[in-house]
Amino acid sequence: MKKFYAVITILVLAAMILPACTPTAPDCSKPDVFCVGMVTDVGKIDDKSFNQSAWEGLQQAKSDGVTDWVQYIETTDAKDYAKNIATFADAGYDVIVTVGFNLTVDTAAAALAYPNVYFIGVDQFQEWPYDDDTSNDLPNLAGLNFPEDQAGFLVGALAAMMTETGKIGSVCGTDAVPPVWRFGEGYRAGAAYIDPNVEVFVVYHSDVGFDKTFVDPEWGAATADTMIDNGADVIFGAGGKTGNGAVTQAAARGVYAIGVDTDQYYTLPEAASRMLSSAMKLITPGVAELIAMAKDAQAGGAAFPAGNYMGDAGYAPFHDLDSVIPAEVKTRMEEINAMLLSGELQTGVPPVKP
Amino acid sequence: MLVPLLAVLTAVVVGGVVIVAVGGNPFFAYIGLIQGSFGSAKALSETAVWATPYIFAGLAVALAFKGGLFNIGAEGQLAFGAVTAALIGYALPDWLGTDLPAIIHIPLAVGLGALAGALWAAIPGALKAYTGGHEVINTIMMNYIALNLTSFLLNGPMRDPNPIDLSAQTPEIALSARIPPLFEGLRFHWGFILALVVAFLVYILIWKTTLGFEIRTVGSNPDAAQYAGINVKRTIVISMALSGLLAGMAGTIEVTALNYRHELGFSIGYGFDAIAIALLGKTHPLGVVLAAILFGAMRNGATRMQFLTQIPVDVISVIQALILLFVAADAIIRYIYRFKTRGERVVLTRGWGG
Amino acid sequence: MDWKRFSFITLVIVLLFTVVVLVGSAAQKPVVIIASMLATTLTVATPLTLGALSGIFCERSGVVNIGIEGMMLTAAFFGWLAAIYMNSIFGFSSMPSLIVGVLFAILSSVLMSLLHAVLSVTFKVDQIIGGTVINILAVGVTGFLNRQLFFEKGSVFGGNVPHAPGTLPIIHVPVQEGVEAICKLTGGTEGCQTLANAFGKVFDQQPITIAAILLVILSHFILFKTRWGLRTRAVGEHPRAADTLGINVQRMRYLNVLIGGVMAGLAGAYFTLESVPSFEPVMTNGRGFIALAAMIFGNWTPFGAWAASLVFGAAQALQINMQVFRDVIPAQWTILQNSYVVGLTPYILTMIILTGIIGKTIPPAADGQPYEK
Repeated sequence: MKKFYAVITILVLAAMILPACTPTAPDCSKPDVFCVGMVTDVGKIDDKSFNQSAWEGLQQAKSDGVTDWVQYIETTDAKDYAKNIATFADAGYDVIVTVGFNLTVDTAAAALAYPNVYFIGVDQFQEWPYDDDTSNDLPNLAGLNFPEDQAGFLVGALAAMMTETGKIGSVCGTDAVPPVWRFGEGYRAGAAYIDPNVEVFVVYHSDVGFDKTFVDPEWGAATADTMIDNGADVIFGAGGKTGNGAVTQAAARGVYAIGVDTDQYYTLPEAASRMLSSAMKLITPGVAELIAMAKDAQAGGAAFPAGNYMGDAGYAPFHDLDSVIPAEVKTRMEEINAMLLSGELQTGVPPVKP
Repeated sequence: MLVPLLAVLTAVVVGGVVIVAVGGNPFFAYIGLIQGSFGSAKALSETAVWATPYIFAGLAVALAFKGGLFNIGAEGQLAFGAVTAALIGYALPDWLGTDLPAIIHIPLAVGLGALAGALWAAIPGALKAYTGGHEVINTIMMNYIALNLTSFLLNGPMRDPNPIDLSAQTPEIALSARIPPLFEGLRFHWGFILALVVAFLVYILIWKTTLGFEIRTVGSNPDAAQYAGINVKRTIVISMALSGLLAGMAGTIEVTALNYRHELGFSIGYGFDAIAIALLGKTHPLGVVLAAILFGAMRNGATRMQFLTQIPVDVISVIQALILLFVAADAIIRYIYRFKTRGERVVLTRGWGG
Repeated sequence: MDWKRFSFITLVIVLLFTVVVLVGSAAQKPVVIIASMLATTLTVATPLTLGALSGIFCERSGVVNIGIEGMMLTAAFFGWLAAIYMNSIFGFSSMPSLIVGVLFAILSSVLMSLLHAVLSVTFKVDQIIGGTVINILAVGVTGFLNRQLFFEKGSVFGGNVPHAPGTLPIIHVPVQEGVEAICKLTGGTEGCQTLANAFGKVFDQQPITIAAILLVILSHFILFKTRWGLRTRAVGEHPRAADTLGINVQRMRYLNVLIGGVMAGLAGAYFTLESVPSFEPVMTNGRGFIALAAMIFGNWTPFGAWAASLVFGAAQALQINMQVFRDVIPAQWTILQNSYVVGLTPYILTMIILTGIIGKTIPPAADGQPYEK
């Protein structure tokens, strides 16, 4: 027993001597303190995918001086969505960012319950009425969406123009997640637009639990391998770490790789030398932008963009391979991008898997 | 009683050391944990919400232990029960072409969901009894099968046809199939009360009925049971089925009293938590209830802990593993605290041969 | 040898390959498909084979080990961590970093297996519970440390995941050149070159994959042809008799559990140092349990477990290929393209094997029982 008391005493002392490592939060309920909180989907803040990108958006808002304090809560079980959102709202946070389409309903319900708090739902369609009394969008709720099908279309077209074997591949997370499905099918459509004879392998990782489908790089690598064995010479990885496994494997086998979400030339240095481009979905700037707009609206400036807010998507620069890509391909890419942006060209991919 | 308490205490202290080691303040962390789990009416309500499936699942594992079986497949039984309850909940009125009164619909949804769990567990039970296939491997395999099956159902036949609903989830269950909350404004529901009642019933079953006697006898010494004229094979199947029934209830209550639908990404890790709970509760129903409340409180309070200190919720897993370690190896606890008790050793399972 | 079991396994693997070849032949040469599937099967089977070997050493000496999953996960994390430290902090080049990584992976897994040995041999804790402790502990510790070290600002790497030293390089076996030489002698048709490439594809593997196959052979030799193996099996079958003959039961069990730790450590290293250069929380995704199934599937013999692992590997190769060929799949076979359906194959197969239809599965007699003098 003595030993145990000794341990406890040492611990207590250590805790007292230790400086308060975590900076104490300011009082967010004060009107002059602008706080932003983020609730993740079931998944971790360090997923190097949408949760992390959104969190970096909050941090960018902080370093830009827009907010005084940012904080996150990780959801461990779907039943906690509402509770976690309420934790921030009750603490007087001004903006709450929720990440992932699974939080769509809970975010809207919270927006209704806390009309003084601004809500930003990443990857959520927030344009239909929840409230029987109102037929309009909730004024304090914005869904941040991205035209993933267009980004997929662009890199699909690029892959179809760059392939020598006439075969290209894409390794994706589960098709149960609409943005992932839009990337995959956009890729297919883009390739077909350039040349209907190009063979496109699109594989979704759907046979594991929902929490695993984006974090299985070994499976991604094995799948990319099979595609390359079958002649594919461009691999597009779209699905968190699973896709990253495919991208690094493609680079290791010496074929072209295409990244996703951000310019992965920077986030996957292992594959940089073979990185053709990335299908970009700019969550970080999108979140930061909306936070700034919320602050503006709170101060009585321009209105908050309620309803759906379309973020930016596109394709990343060619970096190391810039010299390899023929000039006519580059021009063609710019044309397609312009046509997609103007609406002259449609990807033909519906928002959700039918 | 003393050993589990000291095990929890020791685990909390060691967990504190871990927090200090990474530069956090364990006192703030534990204060957050306690505030978040017991600090307010809302916190208490959420702790009960978390504890409810833990009680059912913990009882499931504990009951199987009594029968000499290791049910590592509570996760799969839970998922299968939940899917069935959701199906009965949303589709039954359509099939019958009429609305059902809640007094019929709720018991039907709960009962059939529980039966589905029982069936899912009875398969490995029967394989154990009649072919000798070990239940640990078979229940693990059944977990994967349940996982694939639910993914398939939620992405296909049972998916919510509502086009605005993007998640892979079932439609909401009918109002008549919903177990109401006890208090307005809190999520604390009758399922918790039901869990306590069921825990009492399990106690009666194990110690006051012939079947319970048979289960315990088969569990402690199958040869003696055989000699005493007990139908060992039948008892094994019944033990597993009852265990699955309880695990199925866990999933069923989550659907009918809390989420009102079944979705992917739900029920992550209940199976393993349930094992820890059954062991911490020394496989006694009362112990299981207390252990479940402890685990529910830790999972629930973790949100507030992270909100206050930004210490990752994974630390809860570390503490839970330590609790299990100290409970399982009570010799360590005895050594630290220098006390002697009767050397009752937990022998719950036998080797693969059965 | 158990011919019934091996013929069944062979039959299943041949069946899985045939299905893919039939479906894919519309788009690809059968030789290419078979070579690609073989290569996938071998790599996917690697952690399963090593995990199963880990289980075999433990259980042959009488200690049930369901903590393989946790040991693999621990090894995957610490191996990766060590490699990154060597590479980014101490500035070593990639190869020595990777080798140190593999050593640390093994070391961390051995420490976990030591915990298992202490629990189950010394403290005589229920062995399945000991394994469960390891599984839960591994998830918590690796998840927690991964976060603390790599994500939080002010952590060692300042919130950035540093550049990993890459993966272990392929060991080139000059089989392809050999076949090419024969091709030249016989006239050098295009078909012969395709064949040569196929051979190259199958034989060019990374070191842990090759080590796994060698360890299968070595383990078989140790368990069935040496005194050590005889003693191990004696301790697992009849500890009391072994004790009477002067074998130290406790010591044999400790050492075999530690050997099991080495195997699981190598399996963990496969994930982060050979397959992909990154670590994910819970990235082993239940493969430790599949390895356990492979061990039982293979009746506690190294070759049997290897064959069973290959079935699991082939099933995954089938699942990937079915989706790759989804545009050329005949209409009546579309069910195979549904990954949920194909995904069930290995699990249902395991359950069938366990029923004993294909030969009785016989575990070591004293498996799972603590020994008391």
